[in-house]
Amino acid sequence: MTRITRFSRAAGPAGQTGRAGGPAGTAVAAGRAAAPEREGQLAGAAAVQVQDLTVAFSTPAGLLPAVSHVSLDLARGQITGLVGESGSGKSTLALTLLNAVPQPGQVTSGSVHIDGVGDVLGLHGPALRRARGARIGYVFQASQNSLNPLKQVGKQLLDLGRSHGERDLRGLLSKARRLLDDMGMDAERVLASFQHELSGGMRQRVGIVFALVLNAHVLILDEPTTALDMLTQASVMEIVRKVHAEHHLTTLIISHDVGVIGDLAHRMAVMYAGRIVEEGPTEAVLAGPRHPYTRGLLAAMPRITGDAGLATPLPGRPPDLASIPRQGCVFRDRCPLAMPECEQAEPPVTVTSDGRQFACYAAAGDAA
Amino acid sequence: MIEVREITRTFAGRGGLVRRGGVRALRGVSFTIPDHGAVSLIGESGCGKTTLGRILCGLEDFDGGDLVVDGQSLAALKPAQRAPYFRRIQMIHQDPYSALNPTRTIGQILADPLGLRARQLGKGGGWLADRRAELLGLVGLDPDYVLPRYPHMLSGGMRQRVVIARALTVDPEVLVADEAVSMIDVSLRLGILQLLRDLRDEVGVAVLFITHDVATARYIGDGGRLHVIYRGTVIEQGSTDTIIQHPVHPYTQCLLSAIPVLRGIESPAPARLAPTAPLDDRQEPPGCLFEPRCPLAAPECAQRQPPLSQLGGTAQEHACLFPKARPVVAVPAGLAAGQGD
Amino acid sequence: MTTTVTLTPEQLERAMRRSRRRATGRWRLFVSTPGRAAACLIVVVFALMAIAGPYLYPANLPINPDNIYAPPSLAHPLGTDFEGADTLALIVTGARYVLLAAAIAAIITMVIGTAAGLAAGYYPRLAGPAIMRVTDFVLAIPGFPVLLVLSTIWQFGSLVQMGVALGVFGWGGIARAVRAQTLSLRERGFVEAARGLGLPGRRIISTELLPNIAPYIGMNLMLTLTGFIYTEVGLFFLGAVSYSSSNWGVMLNNAVFQANAVTSTRALAYLLSPLICILLITIALVTLANAVDEFFNPRLRRI
Repeated sequence: MTRITRFSRAAGPAGQTGRAGGPAGTAVAAGRAAAPEREGQLAGAAAVQVQDLTVAFSTPAGLLPAVSHVSLDLARGQITGLVGESGSGKSTLALTLLNAVPQPGQVTSGSVHIDGVGDVLGLHGPALRRARGARIGYVFQASQNSLNPLKQVGKQLLDLGRSHGERDLRGLLSKARRLLDDMGMDAERVLASFQHELSGGMRQRVGIVFALVLNAHVLILDEPTTALDMLTQASVMEIVRKVHAEHHLTTLIISHDVGVIGDLAHRMAVMYAGRIVEEGPTEAVLAGPRHPYTRGLLAAMPRITGDAGLATPLPGRPPDLASIPRQGCVFRDRCPLAMPECEQAEPPVTVTSDGRQFACYAAAGDAA
Repeated sequence: MIEVREITRTFAGRGGLVRRGGVRALRGVSFTIPDHGAVSLIGESGCGKTTLGRILCGLEDFDGGDLVVDGQSLAALKPAQRAPYFRRIQMIHQDPYSALNPTRTIGQILADPLGLRARQLGKGGGWLADRRAELLGLVGLDPDYVLPRYPHMLSGGMRQRVVIARALTVDPEVLVADEAVSMIDVSLRLGILQLLRDLRDEVGVAVLFITHDVATARYIGDGGRLHVIYRGTVIEQGSTDTIIQHPVHPYTQCLLSAIPVLRGIESPAPARLAPTAPLDDRQEPPGCLFEPRCPLAAPECAQRQPPLSQLGGTAQEHACLFPKARPVVAVPAGLAAGQGD
Repeated sequence: MTTTVTLTPEQLERAMRRSRRRATGRWRLFVSTPGRAAACLIVVVFALMAIAGPYLYPANLPINPDNIYAPPSLAHPLGTDFEGADTLALIVTGARYVLLAAAIAAIITMVIGTAAGLAAGYYPRLAGPAIMRVTDFVLAIPGFPVLLVLSTIWQFGSLVQMGVALGVFGWGGIARAVRAQTLSLRERGFVEAARGLGLPGRRIISTELLPNIAPYIGMNLMLTLTGFIYTEVGLFFLGAVSYSSSNWGVMLNNAVFQANAVTSTRALAYLLSPLICILLITIALVTLANAVDEFFNPRLRRI
C-alpha cells in the first residue's frame, strides 16, 4: 500500500516544491525563468511532431473534419496537456498519433513524426504494431473498463508480450512488478487479480503499466482521471508525474478538465471544434489567456479560489461535427469579441516571441 | 423543511463464507435542509453520500433513524403512505443521458407529470401547455426549440435543464442534485450551477448538492451549509465558506488538497495532505474511522472514536481529537501564501 | 441540427409538420433498403398466400396418376407430387396452416411473455418470484416431446389448436428476456424519476418501459416466428401428427419417405419447394428484425 503522506511536487515543473511557502509570485517567476534552461538541456527538439493534420469523417452530410490542420509539437521530456470539450476532436487527434483513426474517419492531410519511428501515418501491419507497443504507450479513455474481465491481469500482460513477439516474458513480468511497486501497489496481488477485484484508480494504474511495460518513451493518456473522485484523481496525477520523470517520457495528457492539465502539464494546448486555438507554456496560458475561448473556459470554471460571484458561463454550446461552421472562425458564434472578418476566413495562427501561439483576429490585434 | 435524523443504512453482505456482515453505508447522519437552503454533502465515492440522496428521494429504504418532512415523521408512516412526502424531494440524476426516456419527445416527457399535477390542482386543459412553457423558460430553454425534440437531439447541458424542469413540475421543496454537473461539458457546468442558485431565489426551492468536488459547492449560492461525509458519518460541518477556508479535520483537508492547482493563477498550498491508503470499507477500526488512512494519526486516535463536537464557540463542528486549521487550499497567485486562510 | 435556438413561427410550423411526417414516415424504414423491400415483399406474398391461398384452388386438387414427380414445366412450374398434383398449388394451399398457426403462436407468446416479464421485472418483490416460478416451469417443459405426446390426443387438425399449443408452451424465453430488460431499465434514471414524480405503475410500464423494450420484443417476435415454423414443419415431417390437411411439413415428409428425394433426383423440385419457402421466410423475418429495432428506436432512425 502506498504511504504517500504529502503530495510530492518534485516532478512538477520548475521546482515549485520548496517555494510554495514563500510568496507565490516569486514561485511563478522562478518557474518561468527555469523553463528555458531545461529546454536547453533537452536540446529543445520535439519527440512528436504533428504537422498540418486533418482527419475527416465521412458522414451522410459529406466529409466533415474532426481535426482540421492541426500542428502540435510534444517537447521531449515534457508533459503536454490537451484541453477540449466533448466533440473537440481531442481523442481523434490522440488516436491519430497511433495511426488508429476510428472508422469512418480518414487522414486527409498532414503527418505525425515520432522519434525513432518516423511518420506513423506511413506505417502498416507489423511495423505499426511494433511502434504502438514499443514506442508509444497509450492509456485509453475507458481504460478502467478496458481490461478483459475473464482473465487475470498477469495473463493479459503475458498476452501483450507475446503479441509483440517479446522473448523475455520473465523480464516483462519483473518490469511490470517494478512498475506496480513504484505506483504503490502490491504487484503480486494485482497480477493475480481480475478486473472486478481492482478499484477504478487501480485499474487506471494498471492501464499505465500496460502502456509502459514494453519500454515506450511516448505516453499518451486519454482522460486519465474522468469518473474518478478527487482523492483518486490526485493519486493518479501523482503517479503520472512520477512515471513521467522516472522513465524520462514524453507525455501527452488529454482531458476536458482544465484543472488536471493546469496542475500537471508543462505546456498546454486548447482545442475547439477540431482546431488548436491556443498553445503555450501552461502557466503563461492560464495567467494570461489570449484566445477568447480559453478566457471563457477559465471564467466558467468552478474554482476553489477567487470570487465565485465573478464566474460567468460561456454562452452557447460546443459544436458537434455537423454544426462546426465551414467558413470563418469556428468560435465566432460564442465569442464576445467576434468581428466582421471572423465570418470571412479562419484566423491564422499568431506565434509570439515568448513561445505562445493562438488563432484569433481580436487577440492578434491586441498583441500587435 | 426536511430534517434528517440519525439515518442508518446497512447493505447486506455479499454472502459466501469469506465476507459476512454488511457494509455500513450510513451510520447515523443528521442534518437539516431549511426552506430555500443550500446544503452540500461532500465525500469520496463510496462514502454513503449517494445512498443518502437516494433515501431522501424514496428510491432506497433506511434501516434506522427518521426523516421528518414538514413536521411529519416518515418512520411513523407505512411505506405506501410516504409517497406524497417523497414527491416533495426530487432527484436530479448525475447522468442526463439516461435520465430522459429516449423514445419520447421533451414535450411528452414534461406532459406526463404535469397532467398528474393538473388533476391534483384541478386545472383545465390550457394550463398544462402554459406551465410547460413557463418551466422551460425558467430553466433557460426555448420551448419552441425543445418541445418537439427527442433527448438525443439535445446537448448534455440542455438535457440536464430538461431534467430540472421535469423535477419542478411537481413543485418540490428540495432538489437533490447528485453530481449533477460531472457529466456535462466544462463550458456548460457553471450554467447549471447558476441555474440551481437562481431557482433557489426565484422558485424558493432548496438544493441538496451531493459532490466529490468541493469547488462546485461554492456556486450554488449564499448561506450554504456543507457536511463532509466519511464512511457514513459526518466528520465535519459548517457553513460552506468556513469549511473551505478553515477546515480542521484531516479528511476534509485531504479532500481540499486534492483539488488540482491552476498554475499561473494559483499557487499550491503549503500544507497539502493526502490519505496514506485507499478507502477500505471492510476495516472496522475501534477508534476514529479515518485513523487507518490519516497522515496525522496519533496513537490515541486508534483508541477512541471522536464525537462530533463544536469548534471553540463557533458554528463549525468536527469529529477529530486533534482539530487544527491548516492551509491546504491553493491560493490565488499574487497573494502571499500565508494570507490565504 | 441547428445552432440557433430561436425559431420563427414559420420555421416551427415546418418543423412540426416534418416531425408529424416523420411519425408516419417511420413505416418507410421497412422498405428503406433494397434488402428490406425484398423482405417485405416476401412476407406480404406469403401472408396473402396464407390468407387467400385455399380459395385460389379447388378443395380437392386435380390429380394425374400419369404425370407423377414431373419436373418443372410451364403447366406445372414446380413439378408435381406422388399423385400428380401441382406442387405450386400444394405450396400455396399449404401455406395457411403453417403460417397462421405460427402467427397465432407468436401472438400468444408475445402477449403472455411480455406481460409476465414486465410484471415480474417491475414488481421484483411482489409479483416477481411467483411469475418467475411459473415461467421456469414452462421453460422446463420440453416443448417438442410434449407436442409429440399431445398430437396423439389432439391430431392438430385445426391450425388454431396447433397455434395455441405452440404458444402456451413457448412464452417462457420471452418472459425471461423481458424481465431481464425491465430489471435493468428499472435502474435507469428516467424510470426512477417517473417513480419519484409519482406516476402510477401502469403508466410507467406502458410509456416508460414498454417503448424501450419494444424493439427487443419485436426482434424476438421475428425469431420466434421462424422457430415456430420449424417446429410445426418438424412435427409433420416426422409424421408424428397424422395429417388431415396438406401443408409444407407433410410435403417434406412425402418427398423424403415416399419419393426418396434424398437419394434420387426425380422429386427434387417437390422436396426443394417447401424448403426454399421456409428459407425465404426465415431470411425475410431476420432482415426485418433490424428494421423493427429502428422503428422503435429514435436514435437509430436515419430518416
